[in-house]
Amino acid sequence: MSLLKYAKQYVVNQLKYAHLNAFISRTDPSSLTGRPPSPDPKDAESGLHSVYDKPIAIKDNICTKDFKTTAASGILKDFTSPYDATVVKLLQDAGAVMVGKTNMDEFGMGSHSTHSHAGPVKMQRYEGDEASAGGSSGGSALAVASSQCWAALGTDTGGSVRLPAAYTGVVGFKPSYGLLSRWGVIAYANSLDTVGIFARNARIVETVFDKLNVYDPQDPTSLSPSTRSRLGSNEGRSESLRIGIPLEYNIATLHPAVRSAWIRALQALSEKGHTLHPVRLPSTQHALSAYYILAPAEASSNLAKYDGVRFGSRAEGVDGTPESVLFATTRGQGFGSEVQRRILLGAFSLSAQAIGNYFIQAQKIRRLVQQDFNNVFATDNPLGDEKTSPKQAEEGVDVLICPTVPTLAPPLSEVKSQDPIQAYMNDVFTVPASLAGLPAISVPIHTTHKECAAVHGENDIRESAGIQIIGQYGDDKLVLHTADALQSAHKTVQSKAGPDMTAWGTSSLGQSSAKERRAFYKIAVEHGVTIAEARAIGQERDRKKEEVENLLLTILGTRYLDKAAAILDTSREGYMARFVQKDDPVAAEKAFFHNLMDQKQHAEYASRRIKLAPLDVEKAKM
Amino acid sequence: MLANNARSLFTAISKRPFICQACLRRVRGFQLGLTSRSTPSTSRGLQTSGQEIPQDDTPFRKALKDAAKQQKKDKSAASESAQGTTKSKDPRLEKWELTVGIEIHAELNTARKLFSSAATSVGEAPNSHVSLFDVAFPGSQPYFQKETLIPALRGALALNCTIQPRSSFDRKHYFYQDQPAGYQITQYYEPFARNGHITLYAHDFPHGAAPTDCPITIGIKQVQMEQDTAKTVQQPPSTHLLDFNRVSHPLIEIITLPQIHDPTVAAVCVRKIQTILKTVNACTAGMEMGGLRADVNVSILERNGEAGGEHSYHGVTGLGQRTEIKNLASVKAVEDAIIAERDRQIDLLENGGTVEGETRGWTLGSKTTKRLRGKEGEIDYRYMPDPDIAPVLLGEDLIEHLRLSLPKLPDTMIDKLTTKYGLTKKDAATLLSLDDGNRLEYFFNIMARLRGSQLPTEDPAELGRVTGNWVLMELGSLFKDTDFDPSRVDPAQLASIITHLHRKTITSRSAKKLLLMKFEGDARSTEKIIEEEDMTFTPLSEQEYMQLAQTLVDEKPDMVKDIVEKGQDKKIKWFVGQMMSRSREGSVEPDEAERVLREVLKV
Repeated sequence: MSLLKYAKQYVVNQLKYAHLNAFISRTDPSSLTGRPPSPDPKDAESGLHSVYDKPIAIKDNICTKDFKTTAASGILKDFTSPYDATVVKLLQDAGAVMVGKTNMDEFGMGSHSTHSHAGPVKMQRYEGDEASAGGSSGGSALAVASSQCWAALGTDTGGSVRLPAAYTGVVGFKPSYGLLSRWGVIAYANSLDTVGIFARNARIVETVFDKLNVYDPQDPTSLSPSTRSRLGSNEGRSESLRIGIPLEYNIATLHPAVRSAWIRALQALSEKGHTLHPVRLPSTQHALSAYYILAPAEASSNLAKYDGVRFGSRAEGVDGTPESVLFATTRGQGFGSEVQRRILLGAFSLSAQAIGNYFIQAQKIRRLVQQDFNNVFATDNPLGDEKTSPKQAEEGVDVLICPTVPTLAPPLSEVKSQDPIQAYMNDVFTVPASLAGLPAISVPIHTTHKECAAVHGENDIRESAGIQIIGQYGDDKLVLHTADALQSAHKTVQSKAGPDMTAWGTSSLGQSSAKERRAFYKIAVEHGVTIAEARAIGQERDRKKEEVENLLLTILGTRYLDKAAAILDTSREGYMARFVQKDDPVAAEKAFFHNLMDQKQHAEYASRRIKLAPLDVEKAKM
Repeated sequence: MLANNARSLFTAISKRPFICQACLRRVRGFQLGLTSRSTPSTSRGLQTSGQEIPQDDTPFRKALKDAAKQQKKDKSAASESAQGTTKSKDPRLEKWELTVGIEIHAELNTARKLFSSAATSVGEAPNSHVSLFDVAFPGSQPYFQKETLIPALRGALALNCTIQPRSSFDRKHYFYQDQPAGYQITQYYEPFARNGHITLYAHDFPHGAAPTDCPITIGIKQVQMEQDTAKTVQQPPSTHLLDFNRVSHPLIEIITLPQIHDPTVAAVCVRKIQTILKTVNACTAGMEMGGLRADVNVSILERNGEAGGEHSYHGVTGLGQRTEIKNLASVKAVEDAIIAERDRQIDLLENGGTVEGETRGWTLGSKTTKRLRGKEGEIDYRYMPDPDIAPVLLGEDLIEHLRLSLPKLPDTMIDKLTTKYGLTKKDAATLLSLDDGNRLEYFFNIMARLRGSQLPTEDPAELGRVTGNWVLMELGSLFKDTDFDPSRVDPAQLASIITHLHRKTITSRSAKKLLLMKFEGDARSTEKIIEEEDMTFTPLSEQEYMQLAQTLVDEKPDMVKDIVEKGQDKKIKWFVGQMMSRSREGSVEPDEAERVLREVLKV
């Protein structure tokens, strides 16, 4: 029997949802179900708060020795990294199981996970549905949303974790820049790239984050231990948070369902005793333009190494010109259209003629965006060299709450007809936190049934909008805890469910109550079976229980049973349940009752003696 | 942070001995499991290195010989011009003024590469010293090796630069197969050193070639750190083998201001920079090993033109359109390429053409530069600050420490050799310039041994003069046709010869003979040879001198008559010679013999 929790269920889900194309490569199912018993009981015991034995999916731009690492690009289609990324190593060392590499936009460039050498990711929640899973970490998000894994790693450069989390209805967290190691993470734009985490709730995200949040000397941008020790001190912070509402995010094109989710999220937190404060982030409107200068500029540089000389694929035949050995054909064939577009954009904005008007200006905007955030947060940026003007305690806010993305997951057909600029618009709310390197999380809030029906008609699913929580640099824990608080007020169907449940509320058990499902989960874990199998076991158990109950009722009668139950301080059903598993329930009951009476008598004698003893003493004194 | 505890840290580092690279390699573990272990790659390695060495060496030897020949030619030309015939009176050079700026790339003397902990190497099996980052593997990141700053700072300080408290690294983009990342990491926006200068004195020039306006000071705009590229080994017709051992070897690039107006000055400047860098231990290999490469910018302008040139480079204005000649691998190449390019530009302008801003190449032995790419083919390097590399912050304490602990520079050394060790300026300069400083080291080695050998005189000026003579003249003539090799005559043996000579236990003739024997491989110690060959100088007694002189005088009354009566004083020398040849080797000193003869002849 596998000790891996729900191993079989995850394997079944992976097969069931293979058509979503969330994975580029997957582990052999037997490596999940046939895993040897855990050698480290200390870690295994801590259950929920451990990644031990947990199946985790890795975005395909994070290097692994065991799987190919293609970054969804033709130029790396057969590339296997000779080493593991630090984040992968940390998870493996903690006992997590890598279930596979998830599909994505090539090198992280895209907002719908459609620009992939492995074909687009498709979110199909019901027959006929084909929606965007968001990008670029769409595969990771959808893998979690469809319960193909317990958690997943993605990367977030301008929103690539938060955006797909919002579309697919899971939690997606981008930590502060520099906390999680990027060693082994294929660079898109180094100054923005951040490893992010997906899971169905914020607690799991935090569990994974705690495992990864360590200094890595191999990553030159990894925050040193001394700087880490200065971060996120919550001393003196009041229980009641000051929540900022950035007014610039309430744009006219905000989808009504998203706006409504935003309002409900704020209401819920307000009801918990937190206070709401409108704030202004005036540079936000320029952030997106700045991002689409800076990220492609760095990308054009980072992707220069893919020439097919030392690794990766190479075009057939002779490449280059007689005077020089160049790689035009190889690069032309290996890179997809969006990557080529961004390389060209980046090469242009770095060129001598354009750098002053584009790259340099964009860097200035980036600084302004940072200052905007520093101006509204109650705490100073621990990395900042310039101190913002000292604030009164009641001035700054602790976290900002805003939508993650202006719309719900769009249909892929709509995405196809979009021009690139429209696609870039998706990142408008996620880019500012990326430019400033701040921690930000997207939490799913279900749309109302009415809002959902307006989009999906009679298809009985739950849709969600992503609500983003942004904190000051280093306040990652605060952001995670706020997300947890928001989730406890607005649970999604999946947030506390087992791996039978998708983010959109489809359970492999069909219609069933939460209580029933909990019972099945328990059986599934006990027996190492899928939840459907567990349900069969459960149902067999119920059938037998009914049979035994009828038998006992017929033979012993209700009065006898109630009396016996009263002795044990239980219900009639509770009393009868003791004999359900027995071969001969009637004989078992008889023996049990006999034994019970014996014990009862014995206990009565004993208690009488104890009660009398002090009385005797009293008497003696007199 | 770097600045705070910089002093202790860097003091520790700079005192640390150079790490043995073999040890490093053993410890390091192979990040790329496949690269270095398989046998085929080893055999390929051997084959490659077999081809490599002549590739690196042959041109140099040839260049050296060429340079020697050139020097002779220059000398005769100089003497000719002194007679008012040619060259410097070339009317074209009267009319046109040349302006040159130089960029020198020098490999730093470091144990590790600039951005990885892989060991640096020279001549190791190809691709055996390569980290993931060196070959730009996906997901790998740079790891700046702080220790590489030490030699870089020493070099910049020796060139009188101002060290910048903050410097940073940028990416310079261009595609080439020897550039794994598609960019070179360099310091474009914020170099670590600026505003230096180098002064060329007459002694820096070959004999007789020093310009009249010496000393000449040439400004150094900046010094920056950067990565080296891979080595391409061509296998015609179309195979290019790549050796990534050299990738990311730390380099410094030294950029001079365009303040040079003479090809010889340019060559001397390059050579002097090379010497300085070696002296302060910033670099190990010279140009001959590919450890130093130079690019030159050449422009010309009519001296009496109505207006100055309209171009300005590095803040120097009024210059003509320049061209850049890339990748010159020897001092000789620098000089010849500048001459060729100057003449080409003059031809062009005199024939009514214009100079294009372009990049040109030059190969050793050719007469003219060759166009590589024009302005339209000019690469836009798209410099971008490297987001993965934090700026380097240097503390004043570190810079001060390095400044104070800097080894003596050549000019200081020449001063020391002339004032303390009694050498002439010319000999001192020669000693310094020979064999990449090995000859100087040899000299000091002998001096150190002489100091402890209790000679009649301890005067360093006298001992220095004698030693200088032996090291430069006597030894120099033996090494005339072959490369200097200090192990051929062990310094201890030469010191012993000098000691014996100085104590007058051997004659100088015996001393020269001894040196020759050692040079030709006699394995016996000096003492042993002196003993076995019976070279000990046991002077004749006064009586024996007199006796010998009298015998000779008696034998040749005619000669005596010539000397005494006709005053033909020179004939005494004949008697001296006779005295020496008639007695045992090394027992007659000519001065003493002459004194005795004069006494006998009463002249």
